[in-house]
Amino acid sequence: MRHPTDGTLRRLLDEPAGVADADRAHIAGCQRCRAELAAVRRDADAAADALHVETGADVDGAWRRLSHAVAAEERPRAAAAPRRGWRTWLRSPAVAAVGVAAVLVGAGAAAAGDWLQVFRTERIAPVTAPEADLVKIPELDQFGDLVPTEKLDIQRVADAAAAAKASGLTVPEPGALPRGVAGEPTYYAGARASALFTYRADKAEQTARSRGQTLPPPPPGLDGSQFRLTAGPGCAAVWGADRPYPALIVARAVAPTAYSTGVPFATARDYLLSLPILPANVAAQLRNFSSDGTTLPLFMSVEHMTSTATDVRGVPATLLTSKDETMAAVVWLEGTVVTAVAGPLSGDEVLSVARGLGPR
Amino acid sequence: MDVEGQSAAVLAGGYQAERKGGAVVTNGAVRADLEQVFRSAYPRVVAVAARVLGSRSEAEDVAQEVFLTFCRSTVPAAEAPGWLSVAAAHTALNHLRSGRRRASREVAAGNGTTVLPDVADAVVTLDERRRVRAALAKLPKRQAVALVLRHSGLSYAEVAAALDLSPGSVGTTVRRAESALREELNRHASSD
Repeated sequence: MRHPTDGTLRRLLDEPAGVADADRAHIAGCQRCRAELAAVRRDADAAADALHVETGADVDGAWRRLSHAVAAEERPRAAAAPRRGWRTWLRSPAVAAVGVAAVLVGAGAAAAGDWLQVFRTERIAPVTAPEADLVKIPELDQFGDLVPTEKLDIQRVADAAAAAKASGLTVPEPGALPRGVAGEPTYYAGARASALFTYRADKAEQTARSRGQTLPPPPPGLDGSQFRLTAGPGCAAVWGADRPYPALIVARAVAPTAYSTGVPFATARDYLLSLPILPANVAAQLRNFSSDGTTLPLFMSVEHMTSTATDVRGVPATLLTSKDETMAAVVWLEGTVVTAVAGPLSGDEVLSVARGLGPR
Repeated sequence: MDVEGQSAAVLAGGYQAERKGGAVVTNGAVRADLEQVFRSAYPRVVAVAARVLGSRSEAEDVAQEVFLTFCRSTVPAAEAPGWLSVAAAHTALNHLRSGRRRASREVAAGNGTTVLPDVADAVVTLDERRRVRAALAKLPKRQAVALVLRHSGLSYAEVAAALDLSPGSVGTTVRRAESALREELNRHASSD
């Protein structure tokens, strides 16, 4: 018979059971194969020596490190770089679904044609929960069809004047920059973005089933009902835009609004809040917002962020600081316009920038 | 933006593309089973990278990079150990071939010198390590990956699945790698 291949000889060293009986019998009785096997073994042993490493890893320490790295990736995405951040913000489960929230907190308001305004931002309030729960918050498209009607399109523009022209907003400009932030900012602007959401009972049920849950039957009229969600226009000035994490961001946008074709919201809201899909602590906090339909929830994880009520020139504001002190943001609302200052800075630094903003 | 993360993604993508004719699918969300997978697979992922790099601290950096890519991927949990091992081998080999590891290697070398009592011994050990890494970097990548995975304790079936080889050809690939490694090391030894 033919001599078995090198590969077979090599396997014989590690997994004799993986080599055919006939091959094993041949090698045992063939001097040439036994000599070859010895050479294969020498090389294998030498390779094992050369590649030997002391193993034993600190799994707990490494897990803490990874958790921080994952969170650090999340935070700048959520709060920083507008190009990535806004888009992620609309999709991110952590800052989840203004849409779901808008539907959840919506109550009756003034009619606008066929569209009834069910939500307008008059207040921003943090919703805090463990990160594990925030990740579980479903996205809007798990309850139905979300179709962009005016696509989110944020463009880099030449200067502050161009940003103002494109967004129709006054571009905020800092008086003094924090230490370590220098140079000219890059400006961005985007027109209003909107989307049409159609609630689909079958999709919602699918989502629930995939999580091993069943939904109570939806209230009459909810299946197929439509919601229009809008946000923007907006503009931003970004210092260090070419870096992985910008040094400072000052952003301003028209706050989100939601409209509906007139389904009974209290019913829809109560139904959605009762679903087993939403973490109980998140649902409880959202339920508190439900009476007025004017509070924009700012989802944040209790592990990484701390929120403090403060003010910016007399306007109530929310200061968010990361617990590892690597990032801070302050957010406030004036009329229908929300402004945020964020960066890898201290709380005092972002507040000082925010309080010194003005068109100059 | 994250260069490290991107390289892991690209490499892991290459691995998936090789296997399935498609790139790694990421959905942007952090997977729910991350901690569970991490705790069970981390020691092996570090061991795979350490065999390539010869340095624990560098291997831990590579493992972090690999898990950062994995955490947003949709790799099925059952395939995770194989996927992670291959991604660790690829990423570590890439570090080896680029100049990126120089700074950390020098730091590691400095530490090594201080803990070893005899400076001469340390120099010899470090030189040998360096020669092994240089030899490993010269092997065809597929051979190097198969070699490292096999010596990290993956079975022939696991290496076969990870590299889309038949279990029979894993032996051949590993054998070629070992023989090439010997030749590389001898060549260096005689030219020194």
